[in-house]
Amino acid sequence: MRRSSKKGSDKRLKARREGEEMHKKLIGRRDFMKSTLAGVGGLFFLPSSEWKHEIKIVESRGKEKKFVYRTLGKTGLKLPVINMGVMLTDNPSLIRAALDSGILLLDTAHGYMQGRNEETIGGVIKGRHRDSFYIATKIGLPQNRTTGLYLEGATTEEFLKRLDISLKRLGLDHVDILYQHGVSRKESVMYEPILKAFEQAKKAGKIRFSGVSTHSNEPEVIDAVTDSKIHDVILTAYTFKQKHYQEVKKAIARASAEGLGIVGMKAVRGAFQQQPTTQNIVASFKWILQDPNVHTVIAGFTTFEHLETDLAIMNDLTLTDQEKLELQKEASIQGLYCQGCRQCIGQCPEKLPIPDLMRAYMYTYDYRNVAHAQDLIGLLDLPNRVCEDCSFCRVKCAIDFNIPKKIRDVARLKDVPSLT
Amino acid sequence: MKAICLILGITICLWVSGAETKGFKFPEVTGWKKSGEIQTFTPKTLYEYINGAADLYLMYEVEELKVAEYQNEKKASVIVDVYRHKTPVHAFGIYSQERPPGGNFFDIGLQGYYEKGFFNFLMGPYYVKISATDTGTQDQEVLLSFAKKAAGNLGEKGKFPPLLASFPEKRKVENSETFIAKNFLGYPFLYSAFTADYELPDKKFKLFLIERSDKKELGNMIQRYLDQTGKTGKVAVEGRHTFSDPHHGEIDLCWKGHYIWGIINLNDLALRSNYLKLFEEELKKRK
Repeated sequence: MRRSSKKGSDKRLKARREGEEMHKKLIGRRDFMKSTLAGVGGLFFLPSSEWKHEIKIVESRGKEKKFVYRTLGKTGLKLPVINMGVMLTDNPSLIRAALDSGILLLDTAHGYMQGRNEETIGGVIKGRHRDSFYIATKIGLPQNRTTGLYLEGATTEEFLKRLDISLKRLGLDHVDILYQHGVSRKESVMYEPILKAFEQAKKAGKIRFSGVSTHSNEPEVIDAVTDSKIHDVILTAYTFKQKHYQEVKKAIARASAEGLGIVGMKAVRGAFQQQPTTQNIVASFKWILQDPNVHTVIAGFTTFEHLETDLAIMNDLTLTDQEKLELQKEASIQGLYCQGCRQCIGQCPEKLPIPDLMRAYMYTYDYRNVAHAQDLIGLLDLPNRVCEDCSFCRVKCAIDFNIPKKIRDVARLKDVPSLT
Repeated sequence: MKAICLILGITICLWVSGAETKGFKFPEVTGWKKSGEIQTFTPKTLYEYINGAADLYLMYEVEELKVAEYQNEKKASVIVDVYRHKTPVHAFGIYSQERPPGGNFFDIGLQGYYEKGFFNFLMGPYYVKISATDTGTQDQEVLLSFAKKAAGNLGEKGKFPPLLASFPEKRKVENSETFIAKNFLGYPFLYSAFTADYELPDKKFKLFLIERSDKKELGNMIQRYLDQTGKTGKVAVEGRHTFSDPHHGEIDLCWKGHYIWGIINLNDLALRSNYLKLFEEELKKRK
């Protein structure tokens, strides 16, 4: 009897716990929806009031130009928000023009063009005052391509040997920033032989600041760099085309708050696993620079025209409505999900909440979270027949989605028994 | 006529695709075993393998990269990267961007060079990069044996772009020739060009050569350059044009027939004329 009573009590307790768990889950989902309903979904755009930078009018190749400077974290280096990634050019005149125009940071790597890239820079900076430019280079050591972990040949000695070669090519006794090149794992951030090499190089005065560059698994790498409290700078891929840019943004914010300097790359040329194209180059740069935690970006221009275009971005970093729309459109082409531009609002004669329905579609097929989608559909107070009575759809989607097809697809969830 | 063109077109397509899909066998070297699968990268996925450096390879029309890793009993490793480019000229272009003029060269493939830890060579549309880790004092020997076997599996070694033979030999820096695939001199309208470095005891300068089958294209280049440098109103005609370029200083461009040739970084007018003349004479030898 006592046993059966305990059994009953256990069952009740279990049911209560399950009920509480379910309630928590439901609240979690509703909170989640509330938070996403508040935004437009899709790309984030930040107000310019969050920017912390200094604006100067500088003499640039005989003309006055507006330059925007931000401080590269605890390094204290004041850099224009646009600098030069030299990796694509062997044209010394272009590099010279960039420096003469007011660009301060030249970014290269030990491995670019098998070292010819550093040599070209060396030729350009020869004879220039050492305080008039900053050089960042990167050194990579053998990694397992699959795991991203270092191989046995990745030693302190090899790293320092490569640094010496780079310094010789550049004709310098020190570089301003030295990055550990192409890190994709947190374990690699904490790889002892390289940390030792950085320490020795700093002691020897061969580098002023150390950092890590990352093109993949960026959030994990950035977090590891932040937690390590060893480095000064992070060079990271950061673009609206990254599917995980929200995570990158969050990691960058944390790193920046800890005093790390953040240099953005791949603003224009896409990101890891993506083709090097964006349709609106200026807007792509503005998008990355709207994040106040990004202190500068490196631009890989190969023509004088592009140099001028990139510098002109500093005239006004504010994204126009048209630019925002274009970015949203391009981002959605990558993801095949609504970017919440809300151009469709008011177009449907049945007054269907199209952006919300598109978000439910995204929950279903992108997040694979049918319960979220169903909860959202339940809140939308949809008619019995959705998108079934019009002979043609009057809604013109900015990115040409087949809206009625997607709506009919996802609206079926309202007839499915509740998953919660 | 249409039918002939169609047949010709199909034949060329089949020939080209046949060449592109030709199977490449990674080398088998005694004492070394492949570790893992052979990886293949396309222009879309090249970033996965070489990160930011991919951009430069894409400028040189890379079409495919195949990678194999090897290990020996001592856990030393060798990686063989075989880049296939759209044309042998593009392969030469990227090879020439990375080749050190004073390198340690070997007759492997069309040409190859060794530096501690790696051996790179060019062969037709292929650019092969072999790197070694933990091979110690055997480094060069190991890399050369891989390179020889890889070259043996790639068929014909091909030829350097024939236009390079037109560069005057006098004071030319050996192995300094390059092919710039895009935005030559930083100007999109000049497209691509071949270059070579020259060195006198007190001077270093560069000669360049642009070839187009359509003469109009060359005329447009000169015209754009005239406009760019403020000489609007002047009409591009065949002959010698001297520009005061805001970025490159005084620069000569000679246009004749299907070629534009010129010199940068040389202020000495007499020497410039001398080299332009030499260049023209070499070009005349071309059929």
